[in-house]
Amino acid sequence: MTEVLPEDWLAEVESLKADGFDYFDWLGCVDEIGRRDCLRVVLVVRNVGHEAEPRTLSCSLPRDDPRIDTVSDVFAGAAWHEREVAELFGVEFVGGDHRRLLLNPEFEGTPLRKDQVLAARAGMNWPGAKEPGETEASPGHRRLVPPGVPDPVVWGDRDASQPLADPAEVAESAVGGRVRRRGT
Amino acid sequence: MLYAALVRDRPHYGGSVRWVDWYGDGSLYVVDVALACCALEFDAASPAAAVPPPTLDDQAQVAVIISGTVTDRLAPAVAAIVDGCEQQAGRRPAVISFGACASSGGPYWDSYAVTKGIDQLLSVDAYVPGCPPPPEALSAVLDQIAGRVAS
Amino acid sequence: MTGPAPPSHRWIRLIEPACTSCMICARECPSWCISIDSHTEPISDLPPTARERTRNVLDRFAIDWSLCMYCGICVEECPYDALEWVGDLTQPESSRELLVQEMVQPPSDAK
Repeated sequence: MTEVLPEDWLAEVESLKADGFDYFDWLGCVDEIGRRDCLRVVLVVRNVGHEAEPRTLSCSLPRDDPRIDTVSDVFAGAAWHEREVAELFGVEFVGGDHRRLLLNPEFEGTPLRKDQVLAARAGMNWPGAKEPGETEASPGHRRLVPPGVPDPVVWGDRDASQPLADPAEVAESAVGGRVRRRGT
Repeated sequence: MLYAALVRDRPHYGGSVRWVDWYGDGSLYVVDVALACCALEFDAASPAAAVPPPTLDDQAQVAVIISGTVTDRLAPAVAAIVDGCEQQAGRRPAVISFGACASSGGPYWDSYAVTKGIDQLLSVDAYVPGCPPPPEALSAVLDQIAGRVAS
Repeated sequence: MTGPAPPSHRWIRLIEPACTSCMICARECPSWCISIDSHTEPISDLPPTARERTRNVLDRFAIDWSLCMYCGICVEECPYDALEWVGDLTQPESSRELLVQEMVQPPSDAK
């Protein structure tokens, strides 16, 4: 995997295509919050019939203003992949097609970012919250939290006098990590 | 809204979907709204090929099967298809929610993009549980609707 | 055990005497379709010197078949083999409420 700076992204893709890697395989994104504070855009191209291994390009973008050039003028097929990444991660592909692909026009949010909580899970009463021998989940003592829902210490029904959790804490908690709040 | 645009631009939605003459005698016509995996079970259950809309006699019944996950983006199109079938047939079809996804969102009930059951938009006559239900579950519920078994 | 295993992924049955209300099936279910209510009761017939201890009594065990995806995780995870596949089909219903199956017989009025 070759790491590329945003300003070199388009030139790298054009250069690979000129070298014979003219089959666009896919373009995707990874939210690396918790490890690195960035969104990583990944692109894979192949030289079909001549090279066994594909070439993978990676570009790390800041989470608060992720912008990168579109490659849809080089590979028309990249347009749908870019539109999906744009609407699910909030990445802007400069010069590209900005239409929604899969989500409704009214949809708000960037659902595939790891700090975006599945509201339906957080809002629903989890049947597993009860302890054996209970009919109502008793408040007060430390309750199990289901996968996908952050620990209430961090998000949701939390103590309003505590400072807001940062996105990394929300993301870590939603995948089942116990977040130890620092300093408070 | 997307729904209004669909119905305005495609008034013949009922005419563009395909209908199965389930018993081969014109008594029950079935339309499958094939959204996801459950559609394969419909194909396995279907006794005949689907054809463009027929002329219905007065006693004929119509059933529309919603097979698969209903996404928020596609939900208005599903409603438009059912309305189109009603216009085409001149009678209200029986609406069958086939499988967990069409009934409640199923395993995807918590998704940001899934409608938690087609009954959010349409009234449903029968909910068939399963993920997916086997083909005989569809045959059985259609037999009930057609009055071919004591229910 | 003789004969072929019953077809799986069609319907799930609770073997009520085996259930201890441990909540593992409800917690592991990916669709959150299992609802369990239980309470504790003291165990009788203890030796006179023993302190009181309790056991769980299952009050309600329900599966919402409109959500269930028939994955069988509950059947596999149950430590007491209280859930099993059965070969019949879950029946269709005319409403979502009717698809919630209560599997615990309510106690009889006679005490």
